[in-house]
Amino acid sequence: MKREKRISSIIKRDGKNEPYNEAKIQTAIFKAAKAVDGVDEEKARILAYKVSAYILENGIGELEFADNSIEFYKVNIEDVQDSVEKILIENQHAKTAKAYILYRKKRSDVRDASGALMKLMKELTFSDSKHCEIKRENANINGNSTMGTMLKYGSEIAKDFNKKFLIREEHVKAYEQGIIHIHDMDFYALTLNCLQIDVGKLLDNGFNTGHGALRSPGSIGSAATLVCIIIQSNQNEMFGGQSVPTLDFSLAPYVALSYAKNILLYLDAQFDNEALTFAVKTAIAAYRQKHRHLMNEKAKKVLLQILAENAQKYGLEIDGKKALAFAYKKTDKDTYQAMEAMIHNLCTLNSRAGSQVPFSSLNTGMDISEEGRMVTKNLFLATEAGLGNGETPIFPISIFSLKKGINRKGDPNYDLFRLACRCSAKRLFPNFNNIDSSFNRIYYNGKPETVCAVMGCRTRVLGNDYDPTHAVTPSRGNLSFTTVNLPYLALLVRSENPESKGEALFEAFMDTVGQYIQVVFAQLLDRFEIQAKRTAGNYPFLMGQGVYLGSENLRPEDEIREVIKHGTLSIGFIGLAECLVALFGKHHGEDTAINEQGLRIIKYFYDRCREETKKTGLNFSLIASPAEGCSGRLLRLTRDKFGVLEGITDRDYFTNSFHVPVYFPIRAGEKIQIEAPYHKYCLAGAISYIEVSEDLSPNIDAFETLVTAMADADMGYFSINHPVDRDPVCGYVGIIGDTCPRCGRHDGEGLPLSVLKKVQGYSPDPKYARVHAGIQEENDTIPNS
Amino acid sequence: MQKQSVQDEIIGEGVPFSRIRRITGYLVGDMDRWNDAKKAEEADRVKHFTAKDCVCRH
Repeated sequence: MKREKRISSIIKRDGKNEPYNEAKIQTAIFKAAKAVDGVDEEKARILAYKVSAYILENGIGELEFADNSIEFYKVNIEDVQDSVEKILIENQHAKTAKAYILYRKKRSDVRDASGALMKLMKELTFSDSKHCEIKRENANINGNSTMGTMLKYGSEIAKDFNKKFLIREEHVKAYEQGIIHIHDMDFYALTLNCLQIDVGKLLDNGFNTGHGALRSPGSIGSAATLVCIIIQSNQNEMFGGQSVPTLDFSLAPYVALSYAKNILLYLDAQFDNEALTFAVKTAIAAYRQKHRHLMNEKAKKVLLQILAENAQKYGLEIDGKKALAFAYKKTDKDTYQAMEAMIHNLCTLNSRAGSQVPFSSLNTGMDISEEGRMVTKNLFLATEAGLGNGETPIFPISIFSLKKGINRKGDPNYDLFRLACRCSAKRLFPNFNNIDSSFNRIYYNGKPETVCAVMGCRTRVLGNDYDPTHAVTPSRGNLSFTTVNLPYLALLVRSENPESKGEALFEAFMDTVGQYIQVVFAQLLDRFEIQAKRTAGNYPFLMGQGVYLGSENLRPEDEIREVIKHGTLSIGFIGLAECLVALFGKHHGEDTAINEQGLRIIKYFYDRCREETKKTGLNFSLIASPAEGCSGRLLRLTRDKFGVLEGITDRDYFTNSFHVPVYFPIRAGEKIQIEAPYHKYCLAGAISYIEVSEDLSPNIDAFETLVTAMADADMGYFSINHPVDRDPVCGYVGIIGDTCPRCGRHDGEGLPLSVLKKVQGYSPDPKYARVHAGIQEENDTIPNS
Repeated sequence: MQKQSVQDEIIGEGVPFSRIRRITGYLVGDMDRWNDAKKAEEADRVKHFTAKDCVCRH
């Protein structure tokens, strides 16, 4: 006897079973019909019935169970949907079928997207960053921390949203392919990159962080604390770095204020005479109204005179020279403490989204006043001393501004340059910024605001085509930047022109580069448009406190369009070395003729930036991209497309900007000569490194020779790399090979405490010190008997 | 006797050396947080200079 067939259940996508319901199919069909103006619900019911029949007749389901008269089938949801499509088409409902298919695809896209997103969230939540590359994209973020993970959630969702809704499809495609890299895409709709903050102005006038008002400080200690607050406040309104362009000039007045205070402190201690203290205070304040400095010879004479006059007036014997000597010494100490506190604060206070510390940079070294010199000197002394346990501070990045006539040999601040070298030899900071370079000195007119400063990573802003009367560093910064993948384009052109070689191939390549420069310019302008439409109210500190150039007069509801035109729109590049190998078989470190070709490529980028600037009136400029996160990403995408190619895609990274590949053996002098000529084209910033094999602390002359060689070769910004290792167990800082030179242990090896205690200079991490202290206590405890 | 055994407690087992390097103009506290590409790059770096290269006054 033939048994009746029925559909009992439907298997959903998640694998669960649900009772089969024909009415749901009817609803779905009717919805699709309505989308193409269908109105007949009855027809939908009949079609749904036909779908069930079709499934059973064609054996699409799987037998679930049966009794004597009925067989029950379970059927997969995808199969049901396929059957709906088939029935609609067979019954001449092509339009409805199309609507149904579209609806189905859209639902499936949403499912895929949210599935991918949920998968990502799962990875971010449960994987250790050791095994999760996405959590280590940026080394500043501890992807395992609570707020680090929270930031990654937001960041990944924002990127997804921006790609789907804000960025032109053409640009997303170039990004997905790995031809370009749009940096900081998560912040696309929200804010600007970085800023050189005029802290002097904010300190002089006082400011409001949005959470409360702060008065102009009265001492170097308070001023340094306020600098940290300024950096932290502004950091939370931008995605990139926060830099102080001339720390010494900005803080000098507060050193003078401390000096004045310390003179009064001396008088109080010596005479305890309120009227005297008040009279001297008033006289110094009157002098300060017209004179910025108190520590120069002229001021010293005035101060001695003030003290002498008041001594006479109050019938006291005041040793003026002793008073000034006391005040000087105390102010020097105060300044050291202020700089030490500032470094500790900026290195440790994770006040930024994702539990990061702000990305802070401090430029200094140009102020030859005694007060300014005291700032620079103590900044480096405190950097040299290190953190609480002697560790190297990671932030702030300090940058020494190098200038002939100011701090080169024989100049007033030469001692500070030497100190900078000594500090950098031990702590890797400061880096060096060359104010004498051909592209920096043309702006310098002796005023602090015309001194080129950099963001520690390398970003530079100085020239201003939008408003040439404001070709200055303070209160400006980069708006956003996008990197072009040079090796990808070289390989693309090579694959499209298999017969081409030499100049012909090069020309084809430059043609393609030109097209993508245009793509990037368009994308930067799109992004500018989004940024420009934001209002001053979105940035209560950056715009509300007049931190950005020209923002003082904006009302909260005003667009920021006009003021951000002072900023730069930058195009960057990666992998010049691999690109040259793809085009010529050799990179620029191997052959001077190839280096000429490299310079042609980069000069072309520069020329195009100049043209775009003329065309738009906006500051387009070229950056030798920092590319921390994209170095691996762009390599992987290029390798996926073109395969593993020797000297091009056979390592796990692309070489940074115009650098000679890190693995290529080359001496310092030659490397400097090859890389230096690129700096003048990369006006949005570039950095060159020399890797040194040993600790140069005992040989500051050698360090200085290297630094001045880089400056004299017309490089802009540079630093000297050497390993700085630390053994947390015995506290040794220096170069550690396989074993620690101090305690002799291997990486991860344990040593008996009795051995450690005999090690010369043993100064363990508090973490281990606690362990020891605990042991000590245990040893000292006499058990109760 | 017990004192002796506590005194010779082994310290530092599993504690790695911390290695600070410059990455993109700035330093990174420990290389654990570097991404794979930058780790690979760091491992490939060769030296360009040693004090012996420098004929300068001492």
